[in-house]
Amino acid sequence: MKSRNVTLIVLGILFLLFPLIIRSDYYQHLVIIALMWVIIGSSWNLLAGYTGQVSFGHAIFFGVGAYTAGILTTKLHISAWWGMLFGGPVAMLIALFVGWACFRLRGPYFALATLAGSEIIRLVATNWESLTDGMVGILIIQSFRSKLPYYYMVLALAGACIYVIHLVMKSKWGYYFVSIREDQDAAESLGINTTLYKNISLLISAFFAGTAGAFYMNYMAFIDPHVVFSLHYISIMTILVGIVGGVATIMGPAVGAFIMVGVQETFRSAFFGLAPKWISQGHALVFGLLVIFVILFMANGVVGDWAKIKRYVFRIKA
Amino acid sequence: MTVFLQTLVAGVLIGGIYSLIGIGMSLIMGVMGIINLAHGQLMMVAMYITLVLFNFLHLDPYFSLLIAMPCLFLLGVFLQRFLLNPLMKIESILPENQVLMTVGIGMVLTEIARFIFSSDYKSVKTSYSSSAFFIGNISFNVPMCIAFFFALALTVLLFWFLLKTDTGRSIRATAQDKDAATLMGVNTGRITVITFGLGSSLVAAAGCLLLPIFYLFPDIGGPFTLKAFVITILGGLGSTVGAIVGGVVLGIAESLGATYIGMGYKEMVGFVIFVLVLIFLPGGLKRLTKV
Amino acid sequence: MKKRLMLTGLVLIFIFGLNLSPALAQDTIKVGIVLPLTGDQAKFGEIEKQSFDLALGEINAAGGVKGKKLEFIIEDDTGRPEVGRSVVEKLITKDKVIMLGGGYSSSVTYAVAGVCQQNQMPFLINTGSADNITEKGWDYIFRLNPPASKYSTSVEELLEQVIKPKTVVILHENSLFGTSSAKSFDEQCTKAGYKVVLKEGYEAGGIDFKPVLTRVKELNPDIVYMVSYVMDAALLMKQSKELKIAPKMFIGGGAGFTLPEFQQNAGVASEKILSATLWHQVLPFPGAMDYYKKFVAKYNKETEYHGAEAYAAAYVIADVLKRANSFKNEDIKKALSETNMMTVFGPVKFTTWDKMNNQNKASSYVVQWIDGKLEMVWPKDLAAKSFAYPVDWLKQWGY
Repeated sequence: MKSRNVTLIVLGILFLLFPLIIRSDYYQHLVIIALMWVIIGSSWNLLAGYTGQVSFGHAIFFGVGAYTAGILTTKLHISAWWGMLFGGPVAMLIALFVGWACFRLRGPYFALATLAGSEIIRLVATNWESLTDGMVGILIIQSFRSKLPYYYMVLALAGACIYVIHLVMKSKWGYYFVSIREDQDAAESLGINTTLYKNISLLISAFFAGTAGAFYMNYMAFIDPHVVFSLHYISIMTILVGIVGGVATIMGPAVGAFIMVGVQETFRSAFFGLAPKWISQGHALVFGLLVIFVILFMANGVVGDWAKIKRYVFRIKA
Repeated sequence: MTVFLQTLVAGVLIGGIYSLIGIGMSLIMGVMGIINLAHGQLMMVAMYITLVLFNFLHLDPYFSLLIAMPCLFLLGVFLQRFLLNPLMKIESILPENQVLMTVGIGMVLTEIARFIFSSDYKSVKTSYSSSAFFIGNISFNVPMCIAFFFALALTVLLFWFLLKTDTGRSIRATAQDKDAATLMGVNTGRITVITFGLGSSLVAAAGCLLLPIFYLFPDIGGPFTLKAFVITILGGLGSTVGAIVGGVVLGIAESLGATYIGMGYKEMVGFVIFVLVLIFLPGGLKRLTKV
Repeated sequence: MKKRLMLTGLVLIFIFGLNLSPALAQDTIKVGIVLPLTGDQAKFGEIEKQSFDLALGEINAAGGVKGKKLEFIIEDDTGRPEVGRSVVEKLITKDKVIMLGGGYSSSVTYAVAGVCQQNQMPFLINTGSADNITEKGWDYIFRLNPPASKYSTSVEELLEQVIKPKTVVILHENSLFGTSSAKSFDEQCTKAGYKVVLKEGYEAGGIDFKPVLTRVKELNPDIVYMVSYVMDAALLMKQSKELKIAPKMFIGGGAGFTLPEFQQNAGVASEKILSATLWHQVLPFPGAMDYYKKFVAKYNKETEYHGAEAYAAAYVIADVLKRANSFKNEDIKKALSETNMMTVFGPVKFTTWDKMNNQNKASSYVVQWIDGKLEMVWPKDLAAKSFAYPVDWLKQWGY
């Protein structure tokens, strides 16, 4: 147990010092995006990995958070930073509705319903131009030219997110969530109000995803419906981050986020310029193969099956 | 009135193709409970096979049906046997790992297609591609009519197959109760593999029929998978007639939505129906008709 | 414990290594170009990249810029604005380019322009056309191509002088480009006194446009104006043929309607269709036909206005850098604002007009597919072939 804490402390210090050592905007950007995915992936993990409700529509909460921040600027003319405060709660409101509509469905049907919901919201955002400016999107001017404030902000958010989830899972709620995942009917019969706890899990999850969305608005300074409500680039990416890293582990999505962002950029830039250009779309193929590989051989992800990896890859006797 | 009728006709005809796409998924979901999010990508593979046959052997897409369908059957068998069946034995916390596996399969298929064919839009130009005949004022697109009748024919064939042949009955038995079927001597492992192959070959047929009307690119699969779901849920899992009805209902709903609400909302119609059916009518239309 | 320390050490060395890797080819002048090389806009990105390459070869063969070789670092924005932003930041901070070019999709160009303005990096846009990009008062952003609202100016002249329609239907895809083009054409029609009886957006990639086309047929408009990318354009025309829709004229708003793929896919349904365009090889700009011939010879395929924009932009960039007092941002910006030259795309000069600044006043023209080839038909004095009108659509389609 102790060595684990040491690793975390060392990592924590590394992350705190990172942008002061690596001054390149490019790498700082990559880490900021990875940290953002840590938040989104962890939030999804709470709902899917721990509570067993696999959402294929997490873009709903992310996008709603982003648009909250954006619309505050375009319609109410206040700074998008207020979105960081309101993005989470607005996403939670939407989550209440999603929960009401979808929690009566089990397993894969819940997944599909969230997928459909995400696409519906994307189409609404595209067509409701008076509210969202449709495909023109929302463009703001970044408040800071340096990436440092953004970096520390998202680092703090990621840290808070992981810590909160850690606390939640250690509490009684955590037990309820897992019991719902393992066997919802048995849990119900034991007197656990499964609907209530599923919704609690969903609300916490939506809060963090929504706040991440608001951060995205402030940092990337441009959003449109295709960007933030994207099935492929947000919802599916969230799931990939979760399962590759390790569902139902605290650090899993964090590891997954860095792996996926790293792989994606390595390929998009054709191995940072060292490989032929055609390889730049290759990341999608690698993602697909990774998914198949992970599900077949490492279903608990890199973190969940770490012992297994150590045995096979590093030949370290666990 | 003409507008309404034409919209209806357009909806019914496209519904035929939709049904064919949906019927494969309905079978797979009904028998094995497997949600196949790579369904559209299987269709994409069949369409590329058809394209290659057309470009190199000048084979008409309708003849390619005879080649693409068996090819996809084999692909489906392969996927089920080596990637999906093993999942049933793995104990993991991961919820819905089989759905996620199909996501991975879909991505791999798409990227392989992109690598071989690039992202370019490809199409086949046949003499009848955009020909239409008229009944009164209403235009009927020829390839779509052909597709509609093929869909009907294949469905009838499937229906007969499920009802009358041994394998068909085994499939239905496995769908009803897997364990009981095993006890009765049905090799359920083999049946699941055959069913996935069958479902794949049906969606392959849909692809062949769609190619003259539409066009082809690696990412074509996604939206069709979603439509297949709507149809499956609408018609009821495992119900062949339900898939036909579901497909046509979706086609008509989309058409009417496009004409009377607005083209931009066309895609949304399907999703809204999907969610409404999931919530208010579990079991789909099948429940209402008891077929 | 030891192994853990070793691993951590290796990771740190790796990170440092990446940071310190020296830039290759030190002695060139680096300009960043952002284009969609993959994704659904890749076809256009490819034409533009090839045009940039063609021009670059010629510029460097003629001595480069101030004696040094010019280098275009072309990065893929994959058609997505967020990738465009990241890519541009990389070009600015890691590759240390001195200016930026390219910009195809309006959404991506808009997002990228925001980054450039913030970083005071001069950006010469050559294709992204949404009006709002040059209406923001951004002084580091310059645009070679006309804004989307001006694409149809020539078409409007033709309508006014020849066709004189009473009713118009506008169909457009739901993208930034489609929506803004449709909006401005709508305004122009209303100003000219034509009634826009239907204006409808659609999601690109649809299979069946019959529902909306049936409404179009019933409204029986004089003009059907469509803003689409190539595959939707082909389907719209094929299905219009199937429904026997016969307005006075079908007109495309550029983009998909001028690509060879449109004619290949729509076949007889593309014949005699008009489209707005921003360039044609028969235009009397020096080098226009040469560029066309060189491109066809080198790449074995056709080029059209997007390619010409890129080719011209390359030459503008070279000219700007030759005139700049230094390669500092402000000096390049100054040189850009003083640009006054002729290119294969036409004259280039950035001025402030309407609500825009740093906007070049390029003209638009009208082309028509005649016998399977894209011919320029308007303005009359520049036309190579005469404008085929009226058209008996039903007869042409074989009814």
